[in-house]
Amino acid sequence: MDLNFTKEQENFQIEVRSFLKENLEPQVVEKVKNGIPITKEDSERWHQKLNEKGWLAGTWPKQYGGQEWDVVEKFIFEEECGSAGAPRIVPFGVGMLAPVLMKFGSQEQRDYWLPRMLTGEDWWCQGYSEPGSGSDLASLKTSAVRDGDYYIVNGQKTWTTFAQHANMIFCLVRTSNEGKPQEGISFILIDMNSPGIEVRPIITLDGSHEVNEIFFSDVKVPVQNLVGEENKGWTYAKYLLTHERTGNANVAVSKRKIQKLKKLADDAKKNEQPLSNDPMFASRLAQIEINLQNLEITNLRTLASVENGEAPGAESSIIKILGSEIEQDIDNLTRKSLGKRAFVNEPDALSTGYNGAEVFPKAAAYASGKYFNHRKKSIYAGSNEIQKNIISKLMLNL
Amino acid sequence: MDFKPSPERQILFDTLKKYFENEYSLSDRNIAAHSDLGYSKKAWEAMRDLGILESLIDPELDGFGGTALDISTVFEALGRGLVVEPFLEVGILAADVLSRGNDAQKSLVKKILENECLPILAHSETDTEYSKSFVETKLSVEADGSYKISGTKRMIKHASEATHFLVTCRNTGDASSEEGISIACIPTDREGIKIDSFATIDGGRVSDLTFTNVSISSEELVGELGMSYSIVSHAIDTGILAICSEALGIMERIKELTLEYLKTRKQFGVPIGKFQAIQHRMAQLLVEIEQARSSVINATIYFDDETEREKTISAAKFSIGKIGTLVAEESIQLHGGMGMTWEYDLGHYAKRLVLIDHEFGDEDFHLQKYISL
Repeated sequence: MDLNFTKEQENFQIEVRSFLKENLEPQVVEKVKNGIPITKEDSERWHQKLNEKGWLAGTWPKQYGGQEWDVVEKFIFEEECGSAGAPRIVPFGVGMLAPVLMKFGSQEQRDYWLPRMLTGEDWWCQGYSEPGSGSDLASLKTSAVRDGDYYIVNGQKTWTTFAQHANMIFCLVRTSNEGKPQEGISFILIDMNSPGIEVRPIITLDGSHEVNEIFFSDVKVPVQNLVGEENKGWTYAKYLLTHERTGNANVAVSKRKIQKLKKLADDAKKNEQPLSNDPMFASRLAQIEINLQNLEITNLRTLASVENGEAPGAESSIIKILGSEIEQDIDNLTRKSLGKRAFVNEPDALSTGYNGAEVFPKAAAYASGKYFNHRKKSIYAGSNEIQKNIISKLMLNL
Repeated sequence: MDFKPSPERQILFDTLKKYFENEYSLSDRNIAAHSDLGYSKKAWEAMRDLGILESLIDPELDGFGGTALDISTVFEALGRGLVVEPFLEVGILAADVLSRGNDAQKSLVKKILENECLPILAHSETDTEYSKSFVETKLSVEADGSYKISGTKRMIKHASEATHFLVTCRNTGDASSEEGISIACIPTDREGIKIDSFATIDGGRVSDLTFTNVSISSEELVGELGMSYSIVSHAIDTGILAICSEALGIMERIKELTLEYLKTRKQFGVPIGKFQAIQHRMAQLLVEIEQARSSVINATIYFDDETEREKTISAAKFSIGKIGTLVAEESIQLHGGMGMTWEYDLGHYAKRLVLIDHEFGDEDFHLQKYISL
């Protein structure tokens, strides 16, 4: 057993750390650290800085502008970003569509779309879920009918994150009703500015706007935007989902949030004592901390097995369940630790142009909002119940 | 990064696993575990021949192991076999204490390996006080410079056949003070020792030991007078690492038994493992068991780090206590009536798993300890 990074991995860690120190904008870090949403422009400036360094798509092959990071390097980069409070890289293009294009797309598609992801010319969103197709994704109904050099797309997608920012969407569409539902699905790229597309915001319970509904009415999509073969889209979709579900441990982010929570609890008072001395609070906090420590090892064990060439199977489902639940536990305890101040909801309190009363502690600006917003973590990317189905099937063989 | 055990340890684990599967029948084990002795002498001798004790003991004392990883590997295998013989009591607790003693006491470790003695640590005193430094048994200094000890030790496992007791006692300090603790290594036939034995729910016998003005000489102290807390503390931490690893082995075995049952037991015309209500409970158990394993790995990694050892040990014992009880209860539930029977293996594993939480501090104790560190 050897838990240490190699010398090269250690050096890489140092390099990432110093890059983050020099390049992160303090006001963006402050938003991230207080759990407050960042703007599209905040994201774009950060993507650009990473791209200049060649780190926006570190896992990509060198020929497409990547660094060919292995799982450990990816882990190091993400963990350092997490502890430094860097904005998360918007994953839809570089993290999700790109692997599909590299494996199943045409050379022409790769050459055209991949560079544009790096430069930020395209902002991608993901057209998977539909009102009637959530966990049962394969039942999707949005149709694409071939008409000469075009597909005509009709239907509705929902829960589309950042569709309001996006100029492109990759979609699962139904091209056949023959055979099993999985056998009639295709994977297609659609310009969001096409006539017939309408985006309507869905405001979530915390009042924020991340997700949207998209309506497609006779939308014309050139056939060269089909990825791979017609009716093989389900295979590509599953490939993408395995990418979506890795890197969900968020250990560094959770550690940073625990540190922040501890500071809040030191400053808050209960029974004329710091809240951190309250046995009930201390017990809740310690249990989360131990669970997180265990997850850190569980995650490293998974990485080590990937590094040693043992393919990741349902392990990523274990990590997804634990990572989401632990983060939710921290958000829950953070909300509790604020007592009555948890009523406050001023997510703009750290944005330029905010002219309301100063929120103190700053974490209170969006603590309850974040708590409610993060209920999504056990729902998205395959709900935790779906993850348990996967574990049952792949690991338990039930 | 690499989490695999070394090839030697993997071979050791596989050898033990196979041995327990083929040679250590659970029905024989249950008869022995609930007999007057509490274990099988025949099984004890046979397993000693495999070198299990040597693998727990440092090469300086004629063993060939003794590192945290060795101990963890061996006890996971012992857990899988639900071994009731006194490896923890003799090979870990007593051997760890004696290895820090004088030459005569060190030579007792070698005698353990030669099957010439069976020393047992007699430390815990009250049923609900788990603190490692809690000792009220009195050590008094006589006029001629010799010592006498008086007091009661409770729930000492496998004490009835012991050749020596390693008795913790104090001459100064409050009941929970780390200062003033001594350890006396005395033969069990010394005058003034009374043994009351009880049957247990999970197998093996436990005893309450009463010491009434038992004479000891200064050569029989392990370590210096009043300075032996660190010896007790290290032995108990090692014991915690061992039973946490034992619990892991038990959990893995329970997982196998339960999965097998879910795939074979049919109701409504299908194996009950086809029902999602069952699948999700089982998937949750798998997730929890992986976390339990990670907690033990963490404790193993930091075991020789003086500043981190107690914290990671408490985190592991807390995790094992919490998850172990869950695994025991859920696996009985998933087995339905079968989980309730004496005849079927599962219940015996479940009992041991739950009772491990009562040894060396339960989940609440270790959570509090973790917070205090």
